[in-house]
Amino acid sequence: MNLPEIIKNSEAYVAERFPVEKMSYSAMVVKKEVPVHRLSWAYYMGGLALFFFGVQMVTGLLLLFYYQPTVSDAHASVEFITDHVPGGSLVRNMHAWASSMMIAAVMVHLLTAFAMKAFAKPREITWVTGVVLLGITFGLGFTGYLLPWHQVAVNATKIGLQSVQEVGQYLPGAMAEWPRIVKETIQGEAAVGQATLSRFFALHVIILPLAMMATLGLHLLSVQLHGMSRGIDGPPKRQEKFFPTFFIKDLTVWGFAFIILFVIALCVPFESLYSYPLFEPFNPKGSTPDGIKPEWYFYFLYYPLELLPFWVILVGSTVLGAVLMGTPWIFQNTSRKTLQILTVLAALYLFVMTVFGEQIYHMFKG
Amino acid sequence: MNSRAALLIVLAAASVPHRAIAYPEFQAFVAKSSGRTVNCAMCHANSDGPEGTGPGQIGHLNAAELERLGRARSALQPGQAVESPILNAFGNHIIKSIGKEKFVELKVSPAHLADLLPPDSDLDHDGIPDVREYLDGTLPINHNDGNPLLLFRHNFRTNLVAIALTLAATVCGVWGLGHLLHGFATASRIKDTED
Repeated sequence: MNLPEIIKNSEAYVAERFPVEKMSYSAMVVKKEVPVHRLSWAYYMGGLALFFFGVQMVTGLLLLFYYQPTVSDAHASVEFITDHVPGGSLVRNMHAWASSMMIAAVMVHLLTAFAMKAFAKPREITWVTGVVLLGITFGLGFTGYLLPWHQVAVNATKIGLQSVQEVGQYLPGAMAEWPRIVKETIQGEAAVGQATLSRFFALHVIILPLAMMATLGLHLLSVQLHGMSRGIDGPPKRQEKFFPTFFIKDLTVWGFAFIILFVIALCVPFESLYSYPLFEPFNPKGSTPDGIKPEWYFYFLYYPLELLPFWVILVGSTVLGAVLMGTPWIFQNTSRKTLQILTVLAALYLFVMTVFGEQIYHMFKG
Repeated sequence: MNSRAALLIVLAAASVPHRAIAYPEFQAFVAKSSGRTVNCAMCHANSDGPEGTGPGQIGHLNAAELERLGRARSALQPGQAVESPILNAFGNHIIKSIGKEKFVELKVSPAHLADLLPPDSDLDHDGIPDVREYLDGTLPINHNDGNPLLLFRHNFRTNLVAIALTLAATVCGVWGLGHLLHGFATASRIKDTED
């Protein structure tokens, strides 16, 4: 294939994914229709994740008024927000709970999109940007975890960064140094300290949200251009208008989600789910409390990491990442039935590791 | 300082060793029975216990605080006002409620401490009695720490009006927005028909 042909094919590929003739208000909103069938509920998961992202933006901006990103003041400023700022406890709890709800919504969205084969041509870009958004969401969770500068935050971040460095021992030649360099770049100094907090703060507040918005823009554009995927093998029961019918239903789901989030954030302090020593200010000279572990959404990776050799998890994660990114091409000829079985297995694994991971760990390690 | 207080301090200093005495039996019992990670901060001012030179530890106390420590250590019987600088509000509450003598006796059966503390006392006003927080391994002086279900029940009742108003506002907002969007869609259709 010569260069002009490559360029021509590339143009055709991009034109099919981003059809200019559909880039109008009429095509993307007025004429857009949504299939109605037994799996229609899954169409609301993406919007739900978007809603929680909006909540994170608003509550995060409010927290910025009082939060101090320094090792000496970070924990005290978070305590000040919780105990002295009017509505501070509610805003902080909404931020904490919505982060978990956003990650749960993104994970369910990914699983249902996979089961419905929503990645099939011409929706490859939608899928790939969705996987990138999942990665950014995890990144936001990881960087945000450090900011309160309490015991579990700092110690869990140390473990996470140490895992990055350990990758080096499995890489050949000069590449063996790369993970250490990456770790030190993120960490900013010899140990987790002020430089780390500053970098995590910048990542959490500026860099990752901007990356999220840019990727989200591409994702939503792609969704609106191609519409919702059919999702099932047979014909849908009927089609409904995207605007206003589906859009109003989406808003109603957001209303429900807001009420649930508001009640939970008002009535259940997020930190009540953990042992209190984990939320004491980090003291480098003090003792490290038991029970240091990452947020629940990393349990699917954390408990296997505690039970199995590191290289097994490394290989598994690399393969999983590659399969996720390559899903539109790897599973292009796979039936929806097979995809649904794979989805159930993946969901089962995530559920078991998240809910029973600790018991499984104690069963094997005593 | 009056002569009586000075005598009290001398007696207290003579009756106890200068080294701080911690009681890890209680911590071990709570950690085992609740399944939660527990540290000295449940009763002490410093999460690493009374020994050391950090804030709330023996080596950090000034003369006035040492005097208060001496008074607290001599509170062998219940009912005496205790303000030990190495204890937090719950620690002082325990000594005030049952006295130092009984507390030391309970080292062999830490579970019975829950039977002797006032059942209705709730130092952090989170709706969960201190006794229950002791058994659950949660902090009795932090209203954000407690059994999540009990906290939910208490906070839901306390904030019922706010929840009802927010629910009403959300339902009205979604209902109004829905009608507004229906109106836009209808107006758009009419305009298209006219065009």
